[in-house]
Amino acid sequence: MNEILEIAKNCRHYAMCKIDFLGSGVCSSGTKRHYVGFYPQGRMVLYAALAEKKIPVTEKGMEIAYECDLCGKCDYQCYFVNEMRPSRVMKALKDYLFSFRENGGEVVKIPSDPLLDGMRMIVGEEWATNDPGITVGYSHDLSPLVTPVIPDYVVMPDTKEEISSLIKLFNRNKVPYTIRGNGANLLGFTTHEGVIVDLNRMKTIAFDEKNWLVKVGPGVAAFDLQREAQKRGYRINTSEPAALMCGNIMCSGIMSIFSTTCGTNADNFIDAEFVDKNGEIKTLNDITAPNLFSFKNTHHPPSPGVCTSAAIKLHPVTEDEKGILAPFQTLEGALDFIRDCAIRRIGLAMGIIGSEYVSAFLGPTKKLALEAKKIFTDKLDMPFLVVFIGDKYAIKAIQEMGVPFIDQRLFTALQLGLPSLKSASWLDIIREMSEDKPFSYLQLEHFTDMAETALAPSSEQLTQGIDQELRPFFRKLYSSPEMTDIVWLNLFRIVSTRIGRIKPFIPVLIYAPINNSLIAELNNKFHAIAERHQISNEFGFITPIDNGKRCIFEYDYFFDHKDPGEVVRMQQAITEANKLIDEYSIDPGTVRGHPYVLYQGFCRMENLLYT
Amino acid sequence: MTIAGNAVVTMTGATGFLGSHLMAGFLKQGRRVLVLGRSTEYETLHERLTLLLDWFGCSESIDRLDSLEIDFFRPRLGLSEVRYGALCHNTNLVIHCASDTSFAERRREQVLAANVHGLDNILKFASDSRTSFFHYISTAYAVGLSDLICEERPAEALEFVNVYEESKAMAERITTGYCDKNSVPFTILRPPIVYGDSRTGRSLKFNALYYPINSLQHIRDIYLNDINLRGGIKSNESGISLDRNGVLSVPLRIHLPHPGSLNLIPIDYFVKAALLIMKNPLTGMIYHMTNDVGTSIESVAEYTEQFLKIKGLKIIYGAHDYTAMRNPAEELFDHFIKPYRPYLSDQRVFMRMNTDLATGGLAPPVFDYDIFTRCMEYAQRVDWGKALFSDHELNSHIMNAAYGS
Repeated sequence: MNEILEIAKNCRHYAMCKIDFLGSGVCSSGTKRHYVGFYPQGRMVLYAALAEKKIPVTEKGMEIAYECDLCGKCDYQCYFVNEMRPSRVMKALKDYLFSFRENGGEVVKIPSDPLLDGMRMIVGEEWATNDPGITVGYSHDLSPLVTPVIPDYVVMPDTKEEISSLIKLFNRNKVPYTIRGNGANLLGFTTHEGVIVDLNRMKTIAFDEKNWLVKVGPGVAAFDLQREAQKRGYRINTSEPAALMCGNIMCSGIMSIFSTTCGTNADNFIDAEFVDKNGEIKTLNDITAPNLFSFKNTHHPPSPGVCTSAAIKLHPVTEDEKGILAPFQTLEGALDFIRDCAIRRIGLAMGIIGSEYVSAFLGPTKKLALEAKKIFTDKLDMPFLVVFIGDKYAIKAIQEMGVPFIDQRLFTALQLGLPSLKSASWLDIIREMSEDKPFSYLQLEHFTDMAETALAPSSEQLTQGIDQELRPFFRKLYSSPEMTDIVWLNLFRIVSTRIGRIKPFIPVLIYAPINNSLIAELNNKFHAIAERHQISNEFGFITPIDNGKRCIFEYDYFFDHKDPGEVVRMQQAITEANKLIDEYSIDPGTVRGHPYVLYQGFCRMENLLYT
Repeated sequence: MTIAGNAVVTMTGATGFLGSHLMAGFLKQGRRVLVLGRSTEYETLHERLTLLLDWFGCSESIDRLDSLEIDFFRPRLGLSEVRYGALCHNTNLVIHCASDTSFAERRREQVLAANVHGLDNILKFASDSRTSFFHYISTAYAVGLSDLICEERPAEALEFVNVYEESKAMAERITTGYCDKNSVPFTILRPPIVYGDSRTGRSLKFNALYYPINSLQHIRDIYLNDINLRGGIKSNESGISLDRNGVLSVPLRIHLPHPGSLNLIPIDYFVKAALLIMKNPLTGMIYHMTNDVGTSIESVAEYTEQFLKIKGLKIIYGAHDYTAMRNPAEELFDHFIKPYRPYLSDQRVFMRMNTDLATGGLAPPVFDYDIFTRCMEYAQRVDWGKALFSDHELNSHIMNAAYGS
């Protein structure tokens, strides 16, 4: 496979190129034309499909190539997440199509048909298509396990009324349809034959501050909403930055480290509006509305319809909120700590992360991330870290608990001085000297000062290993306070998409009591399953919810999605892990598998956890 | 490996610092040695011993060295009846060096398990084997904190600096009681702080004396880097500077409760003295292998300044609150040396009449700058232990020069 095609096929479909998470701007054709194809992600798919002769050269394909002005913004975004340079694909796509036309190649115009005409009558000529140049962009989603399927049509409604009319049209014509946000789920259910209904034009954000809510359209991404909320001095519990809020609630419920205090599922919204399968418009607060607050422990319950709007809760923010990282040598120690904090209601957000996450979050390149993982595990003896966010009273409580931690200033030094950590032999001696109380050096008054002297943290240092032409941009980026701000990073979660940077991953997600032996048992079993199928695997994260009565536990399986053998082994491993979760959901009966939440994300957290 | 056919010196802890040197000492005398121990996650007992023999430059002795994997915590040391019988039959001298040397209170259970609870089965083995002698390698600090004049007699103190000392005192009492009751001839050897070879500087362990020097070297390098590469902005904030002669001025106050000294002996003295003691041992005897000439912390500070090209170390005595107004270097160094602080100004005097009698007055050398330099240069060469076994040719060269072999 040539290098350009390799890049194109390596696209993780995280949709991060659809949000302006670096302040570098977003592909201008995407924001204008909205179809996935007009974003870098879609162009990657289009290029791969053309190169492999899966689709013909079409009018829309030509438009997509034409509208790319090779501005290079996608390089910043994709390099940040995945260390890839998509602009090379963008250029190759343009070269390929323009040379195709110059050489007299036939650009195919796909004729319309009655169904497409019907859709266009509802949404307008521009917003429904059957051109493979566009539809191929919807053949993938974030799930690396999905077999790509090119849909027959893509339609982009702008209002709930249009959605209602479309559903009635589909029902009349018995046409299958699939609703799609940013395709940012990991389960692979947004690719389908028939019609894809892309909700990305519906980006309304309407704040109702006196009622502590914001009403969002189904095309609003978590990052964009959080940014708007932050401008007004609020916080919203959001998941992955590119995930669309409405779809995210419906498919999985919102979960983040803020779920410790903000909860999950129905805790995060006040009301929601739906177009049901008959095209009728309903709100959850209607007395006659279907009971979406219930939870049934079953796979694939029917979809409640299309969520066209959700009134999301706004949370107050105080000026003294700070983030810290508390290191632990064992998972048990970290579990004891988060349970204690959650039960005592200390802090706003917390989660245990393993060295895989820490290194992915800190390392701007894969090489540095691998080094960071070794440093945190072997050199610093910190295989587990608890990310903790709280106000000054909460931080003081942690100090009083005697738990050593990395504060914001030291975190900045470690982050920006990451390349120097590898050769910091003084850390070896520090580790040995902390035999009596692990990490007690973190409690020294001047330790951060010493670390700053030794590591000489700077964005220049951190970006040494980045491609030379991108370095000035990243140097400036990492010198901005947000990029080392523990609170900001956890609020906007832009670094968590790096988890699949080396290999794509599938998370095994469960809800379980914070019971050390149970968690250890499950952790070991998830590990054993993956090992049996020769799948690389890592502890992901654990976040307490409902005042520490339960937690969300993620274990990650990594695989090469381009290796058919590994894909099969991954499928077997996931099936086995799900079977294990099923067993534990019966005995001891306190464990719930996250896949069951699909289409039930509006349920009450209590119904999910305790019934 | 198999248990040797001939009578042997049976040792525990032969992969440790003192034990390995003693093992090499016996092998150089032409004795057969059987090492009782365990493999680690990374290497087998045999692999570890082979590496050590190589380090000692006596690989040719391999056919006089056997090893046996045992479990200290199980009856018959975890061996079958037949193997245990063979072990007992072939043993005529038992030396128990195995020890957990951690000072950490949070590791109390492990330290007590290794140093105290694991002793019962070893003592039973000594009794079953009808060994000519059971030599227990303890520490001078098992005497505890009760007396300033410490005689060579059983430990009675109840107060100790750390769990290691406490465990060694407990082990001494158990050894004495068991051996008296079961008529096992025994001795207790009490070395103080042991550093590397006074003639070559070579060492296998780089804690104790080495730790403060290593720490200061790291602190020096942090500031030198800051000054040389970044103009020394951070160094200036802490009053640290580099003079025209390349000497780093680090204002670093070392607070100690009172004047005193470190009791230091080199490993070569320990081996020589131990072999002499074991040649004509007297049962029930305790031997202080200590140095009558203590080394003051001022001397160590002076040697360190000279060796590391730094200045500004200042020893301050008194019980006032020294934690206030410390600069980063002082605070970090203080944290580094915390476990060793009680040994830096020790006022105890160790009597050593038994040792003098047994060794013909063999005394350890005074710890001077030449010895200090040799030891620290070796430590630096092997990166304070990290490159210990990757420097074999250099090691062999030094050994040959020192021993003329």
